[in-house]
Amino acid sequence: MIRNFTKLALATGISAAIVLPASVLAEIKIGIAGPVTGPVAQYGDMQFSGARMAIKQINADGGVDGEMLEAVEMDDVCDPKQAVSVANNMINEGVSFVVGHLCSSSTQPASDIYEDEGILMITPASTSPAITERGYELVFRTIGLDSMQGPAAANHLISLDPKRVAVVHDKQQYGEGIATEVRDTLEEAGVNVVMFEGITAGAKDFSSLVTKLRQADVDYVYYGGYHPELGLILRQAQQAELDATFMGPEGVGNKDINTIAGDAAEGLLVTLPPSFDEKEENQELVQAFEEAGEDPSGPFVLTSYTAVQLIAEGIEQAGSTDPFEVADALREGSFETPIGTVRYDDKGDMESFEFVVYEWHADGSKTPVNQ
Amino acid sequence: MQDLLYFCQQLINGLTIGSTYALIAIGYTMVYGIIGMINFAHGEIYMIGAYTALIAITGLATLGIAWVPLVLLIALICAVIVSSSTGWAVERVAYRPVRGRHRLIPLISAIGMSIFLQNYVHLAQGSRNIGFPALIEGGFRFGGEDSFQMSVSWIQITIFVTTFVCMTALSLFISRSRIGRACRAVSQDLGMANLLGIDTNRIISATFVIGAALAAVAGLLLGMYYGSVDPLFGFIAGLKAFTAAVLGGIGSIPGAMLGGLILGIAEAMTSGYLSGEYKDVISFSLLILILLFKPTGLLGKPEVEKI
Amino acid sequence: MVAHNFRHAFFCAVITLIIAWPILGFKLVAEGTQITVNGASAFTWIAVAVAAFIVFLFQLFRDRIMGGLGGLAELNPMADREPMPQEKRVRLENIGLGVLIAIALFWPFFVSRGSVDLATLVLIYIMLALGLNVVVGLAGLLDLGYVAFYAVGAYTFALLSNYWGISFWMALPIGGLMAALFGLVLGFPVLRLRGDYLAIVTLGFGEIIRILLNNWTSVTGGPNGIGGIPDPTLFGMEFGRRVKEEGNTSFHETFGIAYAGEHKVIFLYLIALVLAIITAFAIRRLMRMPVGRSWEALREDEIAARSLGLSRTGVKLSAFTIGAFFAGFAGTVFASKQGFISPESFVFLESAIILAIVVLGGMGSQMGVILAAIAVTILPELAREFAEYRMLIFGAAMVLMMVWRPQGLLPMRRRQIKLKAET
Repeated sequence: MIRNFTKLALATGISAAIVLPASVLAEIKIGIAGPVTGPVAQYGDMQFSGARMAIKQINADGGVDGEMLEAVEMDDVCDPKQAVSVANNMINEGVSFVVGHLCSSSTQPASDIYEDEGILMITPASTSPAITERGYELVFRTIGLDSMQGPAAANHLISLDPKRVAVVHDKQQYGEGIATEVRDTLEEAGVNVVMFEGITAGAKDFSSLVTKLRQADVDYVYYGGYHPELGLILRQAQQAELDATFMGPEGVGNKDINTIAGDAAEGLLVTLPPSFDEKEENQELVQAFEEAGEDPSGPFVLTSYTAVQLIAEGIEQAGSTDPFEVADALREGSFETPIGTVRYDDKGDMESFEFVVYEWHADGSKTPVNQ
Repeated sequence: MQDLLYFCQQLINGLTIGSTYALIAIGYTMVYGIIGMINFAHGEIYMIGAYTALIAITGLATLGIAWVPLVLLIALICAVIVSSSTGWAVERVAYRPVRGRHRLIPLISAIGMSIFLQNYVHLAQGSRNIGFPALIEGGFRFGGEDSFQMSVSWIQITIFVTTFVCMTALSLFISRSRIGRACRAVSQDLGMANLLGIDTNRIISATFVIGAALAAVAGLLLGMYYGSVDPLFGFIAGLKAFTAAVLGGIGSIPGAMLGGLILGIAEAMTSGYLSGEYKDVISFSLLILILLFKPTGLLGKPEVEKI
Repeated sequence: MVAHNFRHAFFCAVITLIIAWPILGFKLVAEGTQITVNGASAFTWIAVAVAAFIVFLFQLFRDRIMGGLGGLAELNPMADREPMPQEKRVRLENIGLGVLIAIALFWPFFVSRGSVDLATLVLIYIMLALGLNVVVGLAGLLDLGYVAFYAVGAYTFALLSNYWGISFWMALPIGGLMAALFGLVLGFPVLRLRGDYLAIVTLGFGEIIRILLNNWTSVTGGPNGIGGIPDPTLFGMEFGRRVKEEGNTSFHETFGIAYAGEHKVIFLYLIALVLAIITAFAIRRLMRMPVGRSWEALREDEIAARSLGLSRTGVKLSAFTIGAFFAGFAGTVFASKQGFISPESFVFLESAIILAIVVLGGMGSQMGVILAAIAVTILPELAREFAEYRMLIFGAAMVLMMVWRPQGLLPMRRRQIKLKAET
């Protein structure tokens, strides 16, 4: 009671000038859920540093309508089982806005709970189309979909006029999803896809696959999956003198592939979201990250920053912290963010999300390919 | 002609993998032959061997030593020493105290050890895949210019030859040397061997050390052949090698060789003619099928139930 | 003797150095595109040296230390107490069980949603462990692929609801029966294998089922898994904010109370609790029935049991099938709790964890298994700060437990019947 009273007194004192209802001075809790530990913790780091920075900056500018944001961070290890308990704990904490989760297989079960409990969720990293296909009102994302990236990659391949293409994937949600999109787009354009095959994630021996690719006499290979496997495929293909150009999604586009594949990584084509941290209008933000000792270049740093920013702007436009009203505001509005102008469709996907084709080099650098 | 070359190429791929499976399977089979337990942590010992070899190779590169035979030799020695020590210590810490108890107890202890070692390396070295330099490069090819060419690389030949040499040496060692004879005696009847003045503890330690040393050799070779290491890969390879050991008849050294080769070829042929996705399904189905008809594996001795 | 001890201790210390020094002392890092080794910090080096020194001291004075530890048992006041008479123990156990169930029933209404959710998970593990306990603990069949039946249960429900809209209550027995059927079909050919051969074959089955689920994309969704699995209903009442299925009503509207997400979580918890209790009691009864006795008989001495006319295949198969049945139950509840399942929830590690629960609890002992399930699921949640070391500690604990207390937390005690002396 006493605490409430002091709060009230404080609130009236401070906000008398700005005319605000005293009762809303409580902080707005923003949940951040992603892997802090586990095999993909490095991606989780990107997510957390982006979201933290956004919260810090918004608070430094006086918060959202005078209310401060408070981060509630939780670790889901990218395990669907833990993601569900994280979601339940978020509810315990009284969070109404969540930035997360990272892995699609965690986002999906968690989003069921958020939708049910009226919590607005923006994932900065999950690319599986299934997440927004269920007609949920409160689920958004600040990243492109596999179904956008696949056609982007396929269209580039088509422009290269390939004769025989092989599409390989790692039998995981992300890899197989993109690979299927690529195959479908290629086949629609009449490209000869001679092979569509899965490998085992975590495997090391691809000599049989490489032999098969040589036998099939392909000139392009699209690989849906992550860098550890593609690195080995590239290397073993080089050893067996397979003469084909490889292409992969953003999951293969990091420098670790060079440590595994060595020279064989030269000439690899990669579709990536444009490097937001290299955009001119973001330089101030990049500097802020660097001053804080954080690396803004990861693919999920600025998407996650944007997620927080969208929540804040949504609250401002809706004039309320009710997640349903904020969701309506997000669907109606158009927002200028570090990842470009964001406009949402009914499902909660961005109306456009650009992918750029880069050529990867043996020294770990990349150059955009002119189409 | 082209199809034949393709078949031969897949056969060579299979033989290469198969021989490394066999090298790792030796560790399982010897331990099982002597104390009748599955050393689940053996795959991790192989992984530690590969990591040590990589650390040695990278360290030597930093020091500016680049003469390949010397680098290989030093890496091999380091890997063998560290792996054997780990094998020895694992036996002392986790298996010796539980020896002779209900057979589930050592198995659980071994699974625990496997999880422990995996996470120990994971914490010390990180979870990412680390590239392994290919020290032995090149090879030769058969076949016409415009058709499918069969290629055999030097590293494949090295792997095959090394496995063959190790196996022969081990067989001779087991059949001729004093320790080998003691090993056989212990595996026949531990209590009796003890009574006859054989230091059985020592012999059991020796089996773990020999198995671990061969696993380290496999670690170095496979690291170079595949091209990367990560803390999990020992477990997967260990599972395959264990399957190979059971397939060939656990407890039998020629059986491990045979089982490894069959498994390797089956995997390569599945990937080559069917699809890589079903590789593991086929190898496990093969195992189940063989066990159904020969319940103790291909070369295993039929178990006699004693009353 | 001293010289020998010294030599041995020195040897052990050197081995410790050899094991720890390369892996801990040098870290492989990627610098740009090159791999280099960095020496670890001075602290690590000192730690390794200290560890080696401790090993040296321990081995040197091993006999004395172990002797000292042996003396500890005498300090234990419980050590030389007479074991409780059986009747008293059984009565105490029953009272304890009753209190436990009563607490378990009312507890969720007073705690947070997250804890209830975690408790549901614990109950699922209890069901799994109790089921595996039948196979491993009672019948002595080493099953390393138990997770396959769990997956069958979960996928049965997911597929049934996805394709035919079948509800939880219908799917629950079907899931259990389906898993039992798998147990029967898979068990039939392999159960004549002995010990470790059986272990590897069951492990193989576990992997095969997971890979097939992952590859059969057109039906199981492959790696995408299956989502939108409905929650259980209470007599046609749904617990969601809005009613999803036609003909159903919603719980909060029927009773005219405000919607609260807790209702659903607590309801799921109660279902899991009831199912876990049913599992425990069913197995408890089975243990006393001829079939249960024959499981144990076969475990203890196969030849003797067979000579008494027990059918080896029949007995083993019954254990395997019943174990699988309860895994199917647990799988159905899991699918319903998650609302989304994918093959990555059914990997070998899961089998290993369930097996660890059974062994840690004391094979064959139900109370022990329940305690161990609670410990194994909750401890990692409590030790979140040590999250990175979680699995490391888990592995070490498994080894230590086997070395020091292989009979488990609460070892199984046989019921004995004494003939009363005539008076």
